[in-house]
Amino acid sequence: MKRMKIVVTTLSLVLFTCGLVMAQTAKIGVLIPKSGPGGLFGPSSQNAATLAAEQINARGGLAGQKIELLFGDVGVPPAEAVQTAMGLWKGMGVKAFIGMHDSAVREALIGRFAGQVPYIYTPVYEGGECSTSVFVVGETPDQQLKPVLPWISKKEKVSKWYLIGNDYNWPRDTNKAAKGYIAAAGGSVVGEEYLPFTVNEFDTSLQRIKSSGADAVLITLVGGASVNFNRAFASFGMDKQAIRLGTLIEENTLAGIGKGNSKRLYSSAAYFASLQTPSAKKLIAAYTKRFGNEAAVLNTLGQSTYEGLLLLEALAKKAGSLDAKALEKAAEGVSFSGPRGTATMHGKHVAQSIYVADGSSGTFEVIKSFDNVSPGNNCK
Amino acid sequence: MEDALLLGLNTVWQIATLGFVALGLAIVFGLLRIMNMAHGEFVMIGAYAPVITTQLGLSPWMQIPVCILSIGVIAFLCERLLIRHFYDRIFDSLLATWGLSLLLRELVELTFGRSFQSVISPLPGTVLFLGISYPLYRLVVLAGLLIFFTVLTIWYRQSLTATRIKAMVANPVLAQAAGIKTARLSASVFVVGCIVSGLSGLMLAPLIRVEPFIGLDYLLRCFFVLVLGGLGSLEGLGIGSVGIGGVQTIVGTISSQTGGYLTILLVSIFFLWLRPRGIYSKN
Repeated sequence: MKRMKIVVTTLSLVLFTCGLVMAQTAKIGVLIPKSGPGGLFGPSSQNAATLAAEQINARGGLAGQKIELLFGDVGVPPAEAVQTAMGLWKGMGVKAFIGMHDSAVREALIGRFAGQVPYIYTPVYEGGECSTSVFVVGETPDQQLKPVLPWISKKEKVSKWYLIGNDYNWPRDTNKAAKGYIAAAGGSVVGEEYLPFTVNEFDTSLQRIKSSGADAVLITLVGGASVNFNRAFASFGMDKQAIRLGTLIEENTLAGIGKGNSKRLYSSAAYFASLQTPSAKKLIAAYTKRFGNEAAVLNTLGQSTYEGLLLLEALAKKAGSLDAKALEKAAEGVSFSGPRGTATMHGKHVAQSIYVADGSSGTFEVIKSFDNVSPGNNCK
Repeated sequence: MEDALLLGLNTVWQIATLGFVALGLAIVFGLLRIMNMAHGEFVMIGAYAPVITTQLGLSPWMQIPVCILSIGVIAFLCERLLIRHFYDRIFDSLLATWGLSLLLRELVELTFGRSFQSVISPLPGTVLFLGISYPLYRLVVLAGLLIFFTVLTIWYRQSLTATRIKAMVANPVLAQAAGIKTARLSASVFVVGCIVSGLSGLMLAPLIRVEPFIGLDYLLRCFFVLVLGGLGSLEGLGIGSVGIGGVQTIVGTISSQTGGYLTILLVSIFFLWLRPRGIYSKN
């Protein structure tokens, strides 16, 4: 009987302490693509998030609690992605989500979350996301194009734009925004085409671009299609005829395109691994120290999870908790600084710095930066 | 005029390369009746040959031997362990080779990672051909393919091995009774078919991205070519390539890329539905 009492007391003390310890950590779910077409960005997203969590914990954590990251693979069809997220939320007690994945998965998740859990969406996307308790760090077409199109038109003396992208909402929304900015810069659109994902031959498109007399091509092709298009474009020597500007050409895509095929190729994004600002260099140093020289290269998609966690830290600090309603109220005006520069939240999106990089040498060289670029009117 | 000439050259390019990529499948599917869903993966592995030679520090001339050797070994292992159980089971072979394709993709990803590899073109730049600026590499490849297909057609008509293959395809039991070693011949035909797929990947490598998932880009269109043209003959392969490659390029130029792809889908559906043997079929 006495032994029984000791066992029970000890067990209760142990469980109580565990409970205390568990209550001390804030479980944050990080939803990234580890498989499927986006799987290329899984490792860099995971590394960036892990580093961010470690650094935030060293600073005191989120509203006093240490972050515990739980990763979920959402490189799968939306229905399965929702299941993964639900497992983390209801099953594992995740308090907030960082999402680095495509829009189809985002729509599905928002439908299921119904604003009950804070959800930070981090990659470049088509804009317009306004749901409750959803906060966006990712670049919008307005941001990537409004300051960049007039500047590059003047710098390269181009005015005849050909728009080419894959056939889904992000390229179409991007081109819709682009047309306004091209016109405002005194240029014209000489062609526009959308390709299904199943097409990997670009000869017919290139012939159209050639005969249209375009001197600039706005590329909203994604992934492998972007690499193949750019290689074919260069093989025909069309880089002499036209510049190329892409809003989703990141380090991996540029590596695939290859040196020699990337002359007069420009990319507009909020982050490049070769950014030379002090905060960006500090991140690369910490990243290399933590993960080694062979670690996955950082890019605007992979590094965005780091920014997402910085935003969560700033929101939690202002709101004093991780409660969805509290974060929603605290959102407007929240500001944080990180590797990308300073970002301020307006209308659930962030006004941030946009950089233009030149890929001609085979690696990105940032040649222009625009600070505090408005994300546009996303929530009407 | 220039536009028409460029369209002509592009069409010839699409037909020739499609024919060469589909040749491997024509051999394996057409002759051995194995629905090789891993065909694209053999193309992909062939495209990795330049990556292998670069990583091993070998001269670029070693790309062809490395390609042939690596594909040959893999195809031989596949044939001995997996394929030879499926020679009479055409639909089971679809499932088996689908599993094989997943396995090969995962192995390549484990070895090289998922990131895009970039192969430097051995012949960069454009030249003036018939008055238009066209990539030099493509022109050289076209010349090579012309020679290759001519030699292949002559060989297939004249040689003894080709006759043995045709006998084995037409009537395996009788061929075996006549003294043809069908097991060994089937294995050789499979390995050669996969090597051809790999060489087509090697040929394409400077023009495309190289990563584990590119196999899927080629698989469907190669099947369309064989559905349209018919199995088991070089004439069928030719007709299918002209049909699919030509139609997609011409419709793609006149209308749009979506229109081009839609048209070849409709053509393939039509043929699968009404004439599954294809345009040129011997049986």
